[in-house]
Amino acid sequence: MTATIGRLLRSSTLDYVFGCSVPEPEVPLFGAFVKAPAQRGKSDVIGLIYNIAIEDDPFVRQMIATPDLDEAYIQDQRVNRQVPIEVSVLAIGYRSDGGFIHDLPPQPPITLDRISPCDAAEIKHFTERLDYLRLILFAPDVPADELIAVSLRLAADCQPSEDRDRFLRNAGRELAKLLSRDLARLEKLLKRLKI
Amino acid sequence: MIRMGLELNKLTHKVDALGANAEKRLADLNKRLPVVQATFTAASAEQESLRKKAESVIAKQIRWAGAIPTDEPIRASFEKPEHPDRANIIAADGSQIPLDRHAIAQYYVINIGSIVFRHGLPDAPSIYTSPEVFFEDEDIYFENNTLSTEMINAKRDLRELGELARLAGIESALAPTVTFVDNSLLLYIITLRESNQSFSDRIIKEYLDHLTTIQKSGAAVAGVVDRPGSANIVRLLHLSTLEMDEIVPDNLRHVSAPFLHFRDETLFEFLKPGERSALFVLASSANKTYYEPFGHRVYFFFLNAGGRGTGNILRVEIPEWVAKDKMKLDLVHASIVEQSKMTNGYPYVFIRADEIAVVSSNEREQFQQMVMGSLIKRGFSPSVSQKQFGKELTRTGKRWR
Repeated sequence: MTATIGRLLRSSTLDYVFGCSVPEPEVPLFGAFVKAPAQRGKSDVIGLIYNIAIEDDPFVRQMIATPDLDEAYIQDQRVNRQVPIEVSVLAIGYRSDGGFIHDLPPQPPITLDRISPCDAAEIKHFTERLDYLRLILFAPDVPADELIAVSLRLAADCQPSEDRDRFLRNAGRELAKLLSRDLARLEKLLKRLKI
Repeated sequence: MIRMGLELNKLTHKVDALGANAEKRLADLNKRLPVVQATFTAASAEQESLRKKAESVIAKQIRWAGAIPTDEPIRASFEKPEHPDRANIIAADGSQIPLDRHAIAQYYVINIGSIVFRHGLPDAPSIYTSPEVFFEDEDIYFENNTLSTEMINAKRDLRELGELARLAGIESALAPTVTFVDNSLLLYIITLRESNQSFSDRIIKEYLDHLTTIQKSGAAVAGVVDRPGSANIVRLLHLSTLEMDEIVPDNLRHVSAPFLHFRDETLFEFLKPGERSALFVLASSANKTYYEPFGHRVYFFFLNAGGRGTGNILRVEIPEWVAKDKMKLDLVHASIVEQSKMTNGYPYVFIRADEIAVVSSNEREQFQQMVMGSLIKRGFSPSVSQKQFGKELTRTGKRWR
């Protein structure tokens, strides 16, 4: 069974936010590929984590100034208290009939749906084409360039080692097409990708 | 259009008057404070005679909500004892969905939240909730009348202590253990006993049984009251000004100037952060009639739990078997101060127990929806009273005229 890293708090066709308790060292990470069920399990909305926020909490605020805070208090706050860590995800495509569509999903996931990380095979399959990059480039209120750079590196890691450079060069070419009128931005992005 | 509801502009001058009144009251109390403090000092010099006076009040069976001095000097202060390296600090709190005769069905919910904080271990504390819905006739009615809010509160108090007794049984074998309620140990329902005697007697009996269970487990127990409004010591000081032959009900019924409207808390502002006051015995008839025969006679002291400025004064109530066991008394004292370090003078476990127990308005609505669903499934058409329906109509949106 696929690991659950959180449950959905709110969503739209453009993006969704899920809550989770204490983040594990591995998940969730900025730029990671995640999926959420949609259309009663017929589909999965694929997304990229673009923000991880821990909400302000007056109770915690009061404790911050305490020197030598015992570990039990810290663990109580992190493990027991229901203060969710909010993770924002940009929708970049969806699964349909065994394949992936690089477009906005027809329906968003529903409240309390389980959010899971995409495994390497899914990421490799999803990134066989790179049409989804335009959804990131032109998404409002998203650190698009950083997100593209990090997610492409993560996707490259899912390729066989001999194919990684080729994958990143293909990505660079796709970005060059999409940013042909914004060479300054393209240059910065390619530097981030170290192509 | 004019927005109706609480028209704040109509209260402006009254709020000004309220502020002025508070200022005047404070000035009046400050003016009388030196006299009250001097009485405290004088009374402390004659502690034995004061104790005899207090005991004579009890012997004469006069209703008097004062305090009886113990062997500790009444103006003494005691520093925070050493906290054990390892101790279990347990607190329970309750919340409820009240019985509402305008609701779709007759029920109430009591939710008890509790926390076991294992001081000295790095683990997250254990937290528990124990919700229960009451709807049977015997839960809803007492002698043909629906239960009053006070009666349901008493059932909640009973469940809080029951939860502490349960947890004390599990935890106290592992380390020194102290259990807390954030309330008086003397049940409020006792003061209303005349109108519901058999109900109160049943609650009190079970409450005392829980205290005995905690005692047998080896754990300590205490009730903690923040911003206590009590005036037991003030009444004791008033008593100190009377001669033995003046100790009659009429003279004790009300305190007179300079003691009028003083609260005990003010008298113990001399306590430094971490210090506790002397122990006193609560001189109420309920303490003597109900608690004393079972060995649970209630003692109390005041404690500066620290926090902002000069600290926060708490009133701590303990049964006699804690008051007379130095290790348990010290554990109560030290753990409250330790637990209040990062939460400005109010114990951390109390804040968490409240947070765990509280039933939010959203949860209340969700539960009502569950009840409604259950009724509809059985062919009912549940509805709230017309009065409640009207309130829901007018209170869900903005009100305009």
